[in-house]
Amino acid sequence: MKELDLLKKDWQKIDNSFVQVSETEIYKMIHKKSSSIVKWIFIISILEFIVLNSLSYLMPNEKISDSTIVELVISILDYFSYGVALFFMYLFYRNYRSISVTSNTKKLMECILNTRKTVRYYIIFNILLVFVMSIVVFFNEFQIEYANNNGAKMIFICLLMLFFIALIIGVVWLFYQLIYGILLKKLNRNYVELKKIDL
Amino acid sequence: MSDNLEHSFVKQLRENQNIIHKICRLYTNDDDAHKDLFQEITIQLWKAFPKFRGDSKFSTWAYRVALNTAITLYRKTKRSINTVEFEGRQHFLNDVEYDYEEEEQLKLMYQAVYQLNDIEKALIFMYLEDKDYHEISETLGISEVNARVKMNRIKGKLKKILNPLGI
Repeated sequence: MKELDLLKKDWQKIDNSFVQVSETEIYKMIHKKSSSIVKWIFIISILEFIVLNSLSYLMPNEKISDSTIVELVISILDYFSYGVALFFMYLFYRNYRSISVTSNTKKLMECILNTRKTVRYYIIFNILLVFVMSIVVFFNEFQIEYANNNGAKMIFICLLMLFFIALIIGVVWLFYQLIYGILLKKLNRNYVELKKIDL
Repeated sequence: MSDNLEHSFVKQLRENQNIIHKICRLYTNDDDAHKDLFQEITIQLWKAFPKFRGDSKFSTWAYRVALNTAITLYRKTKRSINTVEFEGRQHFLNDVEYDYEEEEQLKLMYQAVYQLNDIEKALIFMYLEDKDYHEISETLGISEVNARVKMNRIKGKLKKILNPLGI
């Protein structure tokens, strides 16, 4: 391609056209803060871990049920969730550490996406956990109310609460998609493009 | 980090800064964006510098970090298609025999390259820098054969942009 050869010839000479940055300017630059997506992903992910973990402290800590079995199930789930949180934080740390700007482009992109995925799975796990806990509590309450002939009222309350939980999860999810949509749009697009080359 | 390390980095970066300028020229469309990307690449290079052992040339190492920053880590995206970029460099073309037709062709070629996507630009960049397909494939993490195939497709795409009717 004739034009490409022309461009290549010109490209070799292009060096003279750049305004050279001085050593003093470089010194200044390296003390400035990075605005890379990895930094943002790290900050947002840490916030997500903190928020999700502190949610359980905000919940009323009173006895949920008189039934010892329900209490037992709830506390097992509670301890289980702490273990899982620690596990996810370890995975997150490991994935985050594997992000290296000196890897090849594809590997770098995969490491960033994997770090994100860890946090996403943690969030999905938490949503499922809340769901399971709610079912246990509702089922227990339902049994008690049913015995007191308040079954219809109880079903109505359950449905109402389910609706609100779904609404809150929906809003949070949308917000979440928006943040990561903006942050990872370019990366995702380039990753797809890079993967297509090797298909 | 020690002053020595900092000094050695700053010196090497100053000497090799045109690599970064070239990448900034491909991936940005105005001076502000150019400076911004230059700064981000410099920060990323500095952060990775303690692990740079000198078993490859500083420039080779810098290529990879700079490209990765432009394609993956840098968040801001381009605002408009570049058309003014070419103006600034005409002065040195005046030194040699001035060829208007060649000049016009070059201008169109630069504009065509700006229309490529980020990955295609990376391939073109390394091609212009005379990198072989082995290095291109290692840098991007794709196979050598496919890098070759992709490069041929990009040439085809550029041809199409330059001459959409295929006359």
